[in-house]
Amino acid sequence: MTNQPALSLDGVRVAFRDGLDERAVLDDLSLDVAGGELLVVSGRSGAGKSTLLAVAGLLRRADHGDVRIDGTSTAALNERRRSVVRRDHIAFVYQSANLFPSLTAVEQLELVGHIRNEPSGEVRHRARALLEDLDLADRADQLPAQMSGGERQRVGIARALMASPTVLIADEPTASLDPERAKVVAELLASAAHDRDIATLVVAHDSAALQHADRHLRLDSGRLHHVED
Amino acid sequence: MFLALRDLKRGARRFLLLGVVIALVAILSTVLSGLATGLVTDGISGLRALPFERLAFGEGAEATFSRSSLRPPALDAYAALPGVKATPLGASFANAAPVDGGPNLDVALFGVSADSFLVQRADARAALSGTPGLILTSELEDEGVKVGDRYTLGAADLTLPVLGFTYAGTYGHAPIAFTSLETWQQIQYGNGADGRFSAIALSGTDRGLDRAAKATHTDVLTKDEAYAGSPGYTAETTTMTMIRAFLLIISALVIGAFFTVLTVQRTRQIGLLKAMGASNGYVLRDGIGQMAILVSIATISGVLIGGLLVFALSRTPAPVELNLPAVALVTVSLIVAGILGSLTAFRRVTQVEPAIALGVES
Ligand SMILES: Nc1ncnc2c1ncn2[C@@H]1O[C@H](COP(=O)(O)OP(=O)(O)OP(=O)(O)O)[C@@H](O)[C@H]1O
Ligand SMILES: [Mg+2]
Repeated sequence: MTNQPALSLDGVRVAFRDGLDERAVLDDLSLDVAGGELLVVSGRSGAGKSTLLAVAGLLRRADHGDVRIDGTSTAALNERRRSVVRRDHIAFVYQSANLFPSLTAVEQLELVGHIRNEPSGEVRHRARALLEDLDLADRADQLPAQMSGGERQRVGIARALMASPTVLIADEPTASLDPERAKVVAELLASAAHDRDIATLVVAHDSAALQHADRHLRLDSGRLHHVED
Repeated sequence: MFLALRDLKRGARRFLLLGVVIALVAILSTVLSGLATGLVTDGISGLRALPFERLAFGEGAEATFSRSSLRPPALDAYAALPGVKATPLGASFANAAPVDGGPNLDVALFGVSADSFLVQRADARAALSGTPGLILTSELEDEGVKVGDRYTLGAADLTLPVLGFTYAGTYGHAPIAFTSLETWQQIQYGNGADGRFSAIALSGTDRGLDRAAKATHTDVLTKDEAYAGSPGYTAETTTMTMIRAFLLIISALVIGAFFTVLTVQRTRQIGLLKAMGASNGYVLRDGIGQMAILVSIATISGVLIGGLLVFALSRTPAPVELNLPAVALVTVSLIVAGILGSLTAFRRVTQVEPAIALGVES
């Protein structure tokens, strides 16, 4: 078998109507992310970074082009099949952790197993172990409202890892944290990518995240450009 | 329903208002059901208690005694059928004015043959075949009527003593007074009765009844069909059915509206679930399951409270009665209405885009 990239975007185009014109936010964009690679994308506000992540994570369809997960094309899949690919291969980390307010930390993780219809005993065990790995064992039974912003974000990452994803997608995961906490979260994402062999696509601007990047690209005028740092 | 259950448990206060509204609807429905059962029972308990299976009325009388007047040849036609017992029944409403004090009574006056199958107690048979008098339903004893009290009835100014009490019930919400058929005819028609009576009570086989009905220009109705002729019965049952149907529709709409608002509030959560790979079916099961649990708990609580209220009311003169099948029907139909109501948010749930999970939180 050839060494396929875990995530691969091929000739992706997304355009929005802007009055009478059409404005391409992503324009014939191609990108490969290998398993275990941490790729950081930056760009000015409105450049289309979140749109890129939404396409790569199968949250929205591109107008043209294809997204391949582990070499499997998704362009022709219906919504139902795309949601199954998401469930089995893709996980997200958000700027605000996006936790469910009525679930404790461990239940946030268990929900992932529940959606996948996995046996609940095994899921609970794995969830606790993962929280322990991320140094969150003492937060396991607390609700999001009882946690700090940094703790919420780490629980969000634990939830993403719970899915054992092929691809991890994070939209400004460190933007709302102070530099100290941002550093912890960035390190966490980097070690997740490297230790668990996850293709990790992160949108970030801060040095904490960039420090750990294997590759850094800038989104501008619908295309990705190399950044030498 | 992983999420739904924890949401209900930890966010109970958000659901309290809807729960209370549904419980109140359930209380109201249960009390109304008790009232409906009670009113119906109160209207027809007299007929229900009499040991006949069918009644033959004059053609077109539609189960109304006052519209039906029959003569002995009709009775003979039925009585001649093998396996059929037939006996005349006179029924009318009358005012009984006390002669020596006691309450004034508006009664349903039933004239029966003392030796017929309608009169089953031996002491009642003896009383009705002796000097003319009245056997009253036992409720009147509680109102201060005593054996020996004398009452003047109808236009004939006939004065009759109270001979005794029995469980006779009511008809058209009036307490029943039994008297002999002859006395009834005397009160109803004076001396020109000419053997007339209101209807024929039938018992035994139904073989041959059709033929007899045709020959005598009468209509044979079952006991249940005969209830419809009790004054107020049809109006009461229709009104109650209508009120209960409206309550069901109201609660379905309230639940639908609430669930729609809840769905809008949860748009981001739903998007998040879908981003995690949850199917539309998963999200719908969670949301509708949550409504079903909430509605079930609220309805069952409401029905229990309503049941207690009906029970308390049944010890007052209010015509209420607890009927388990009716209460079960209220419970089930409210729960079903709630689930149907929550289906109105179906499209709203399926149309949420997973991409909104990436949007910035407001
Ligand atoms: N549904 C939409 N309809 C029209 N225009 C849209 C839509 N979604 C995004 N856009 C536009 O596409 C452009 C890119 O949006 P996107 O959210 O991807 O930017 P971004 O790079 O993530 O910005 P930020 O750094 O502020 O998060 C913006 O100009 C935005 O207005
Ligand atoms: Mg963005």
